[in-house]
Amino acid sequence: MQEKINILYLDDEEQNLFSFVALFRRDYNVFTTTSAQQAVEYLSNNKVHIIFSDQKMPEVSGVEFFETIRHDYPDAVRILITGYADIDAVIDAINRGQVYRYVTKPWDANELKVCIENAVEKYHRDKELYLKNKELERVNAELEQFVYSASHDMRAPLASIKGVINVAKADGLDAKTLNYLEMIERSTNRLNDFVTNIIYYYQNSQSDEIISEIDFDKLLDEVIEKYRNHVTTQHIRFEKTVAGSAIYKADIHRLKMILNNLLSNAIKFSDSKKDDCFVSLEVIVNLEKVMIKVADNGIGIAAEEIPKIFNMFYPSTDKNSGSGVGLYIVKQAVEKMKGNITVKSDVGIGTRFIVELPNKS
Amino acid sequence: MSKLEYISFHLVDDNDIDLAVNSKLLEIAKISNKIVTYQSALLLLDYLKSDKFDGSKPHVILLDIMMPNMNGFECLDQLTQMPEHIRKQLTVFMVSSSIDRNDIKKAESYDLVEKILEKPLDVYLLKKYLGEVFE
Repeated sequence: MQEKINILYLDDEEQNLFSFVALFRRDYNVFTTTSAQQAVEYLSNNKVHIIFSDQKMPEVSGVEFFETIRHDYPDAVRILITGYADIDAVIDAINRGQVYRYVTKPWDANELKVCIENAVEKYHRDKELYLKNKELERVNAELEQFVYSASHDMRAPLASIKGVINVAKADGLDAKTLNYLEMIERSTNRLNDFVTNIIYYYQNSQSDEIISEIDFDKLLDEVIEKYRNHVTTQHIRFEKTVAGSAIYKADIHRLKMILNNLLSNAIKFSDSKKDDCFVSLEVIVNLEKVMIKVADNGIGIAAEEIPKIFNMFYPSTDKNSGSGVGLYIVKQAVEKMKGNITVKSDVGIGTRFIVELPNKS
Repeated sequence: MSKLEYISFHLVDDNDIDLAVNSKLLEIAKISNKIVTYQSALLLLDYLKSDKFDGSKPHVILLDIMMPNMNGFECLDQLTQMPEHIRKQLTVFMVSSSIDRNDIKKAESYDLVEKILEKPLDVYLLKKYLGEVFE
C-alpha cells in the first residue's frame, strides 16, 4: 500500500467541513480550516496530496487561493467546490490549469468519493511520470557524457598514430612502404574526423554561444592551413577572399566547426580527373551579417541527393565516404547561430555552399 | 631562423610515444636539436629549480594538458610562482590531443602560455608561432 493520502479542505462554512471529515477521515488524513492563511501554514508544514477549496469565501476566492499556492505546491491536486453561479470563474480556472476538477454544491457524497479517488490516481500518475522523466534526463545526460569522454579518450591514441605516421613519412621510406603508410593515414584521418565531429556535435548541443570579434583573414588562414599540408590536398588550389570592413562578432568555435566541415567536405569530393582543382572561401561581412561562400569544382552532388545531405549519418557516395555527420553538424551549428545555409551543385561541375550568419556586434 | 638555435626545448608528456614523435618532428623540421623530454611535469620542475638550468637563454616548454600526478595546468601554476629570472626565459605551448574550449579559455588566462596546440604537433604552425615570439 502506498503512503496515506493527505487532504486539505478550505471552506468558510464550518458545516461543510464537519460533514467532509465525517465522510473521509477513515480513508484519508483530512485537515480542514476556514482560514486561507491557516491553510497556507498547514501546507508549509505538511505534505498535502489533494486540496479542496470552496470558491465563494469572504476574504479570498477559491481560484485566488489556488493561484497563491500553485507554484509552491505544484504536485498537489487542486479541486474547486462551487455553486452554479460561479461557473464562469470555474471554466476560466480549469482552462488556465489552476484546478484539476470542480465539484458543484451541495455535493453528493458518492460523487466526492469518486472525485477523490480520481485525484489520488492522478497524483500517483503525475509523480510516476515526473520520476520517469527525471530518470530519462539522467540516463540521457550520462549517455552524452559517455560519448563525449569516449571521443576524447579516442582522440589521444589517434593523435599518437598520426604523429608516428608524420615522423615515419619523413624518414626516407621506399615507395611501397610509403604507399601502405598513406593508406593507414587516410583511414586514420577518417576516423579522426568522425571522432572530432562527435565532439563537435556534443559541444554544439551543450554549450551556449560565446561571442567574440572575428578576424576572418586570420580565421580562414588558420582553417586552410590545417588542410594545406595533407597528402590528400596536394593537387588542390585554395583561394581566399574577405570583403567588408564591418566589425563582426559571433561564436568563433561554431564558426570553426562550420568552416572545417565545409572545407573538408570540398576536399573530400574534389574531382581528381580535373587538371585544376580548387576550393574557394569567400567572405563578405557587413553590419547585419556575414556571407560565407565555400565553392569547389569537385564531383558535385546529384539533384535528388541534395535534400538528404544535411541528415545525420547520411553517407553521400561510396567514394572516400566519411561518416555522414559533417554536414549535419554544420546545419546544427548554423541553426544554433540563427543563420541559414543553402547549397547549389551540379554533377561534374562543382558545389557551392552559402552560409549566412547574423552579426552579433 | 637562426635565433631558434639558442632555444632549449622541453617536452613534457606522460605518453612516451608522443614524446618520441614530437621531439623527432622538431628535429625533422629543423626547429631544434636541443630537446629534453620529461615523462612527468614534476621532472621538469626539478630541472628548472636545479643548477643545470641555464637562465641566460630562452626555454620553450611544450606542455601536455592531461597527465597523471600533475597535469599541465597544475604545472603552469607552479611555473607562474617561479622566481622572475627563471620565469622570464620561459615560453609555454600547451599541447593536447583534444582541445576543449574551456581549456583554451583557461590557457589564455596564463601570461606564460603563448598558444595551445593540437596533437599531433603541426611543426609548421609551431615554427610560425616561434617566429612571432623570437624573431
